[in-house]
Amino acid sequence: MLVEHARSLIGLADASHAEYGDEGTPVITLLACSLQDQTITVELTPRSRLARLYGKESATERTTCSYGLAPSLQRIASECGMRVAAIDETGEVRAVERVDHPFFVGTLYQPQLTSAPGAPHPVFVGLLRAAAFEAAIGR
Amino acid sequence: MRKVVVSVLIDLPAEHPYHRATLNALQHASTHHGLTPEVRVMGTDAIEDVDEVVGPGTAVVIGPGSPYRNQDAAHGVVQAARERGVPLVGT
Repeated sequence: MLVEHARSLIGLADASHAEYGDEGTPVITLLACSLQDQTITVELTPRSRLARLYGKESATERTTCSYGLAPSLQRIASECGMRVAAIDETGEVRAVERVDHPFFVGTLYQPQLTSAPGAPHPVFVGLLRAAAFEAAIGR
Repeated sequence: MRKVVVSVLIDLPAEHPYHRATLNALQHASTHHGLTPEVRVMGTDAIEDVDEVVGPGTAVVIGPGSPYRNQDAAHGVVQAARERGVPLVGT
């Protein structure tokens, strides 16, 4: 999502993901400290869509990520309609969302890993709520 | 009301725990809402036409497990969902 955002809206036509090689401007880079199979605490941005979905100020999440938004490009998560929805304990971006869209959320953690029967994850609840609304109004 | 369709883009094999967790999370949320969405699971290398993935009444889940087999196709889906107002979550 952030590579597409950088290419299409930020003006970094050669934005790339470091996992695919050395070409271009790496927007997604190897984390200094891998978060593979880690449990992290994310601080949700007040009044963000994500904060409303969770209904709290912070959450414990699981992550399989070894890559994240490049430290030098953290600003792009707050530009051109995107905003930071959550940060981790180091202050780095862990979730983004678009302010001009019914539901457009990206997480640098894996919400599906903490979902359970009877306790669905708020991100997936929000996604299906938005999808049902869009379907109801015929879009 | 139009039927809800969820396109799940994931390159991990069906037996992978993250693949299963993604589908399970959709099921948990569907049960919560009392919905029975049609779930279409596909690898990024199976995308031939973005319109088939990001159509009316569709939501999109980008699953974990990069690098994607077809990065350009994945970006095309993200761009189309963004431009068309199609609900999307990228994990």
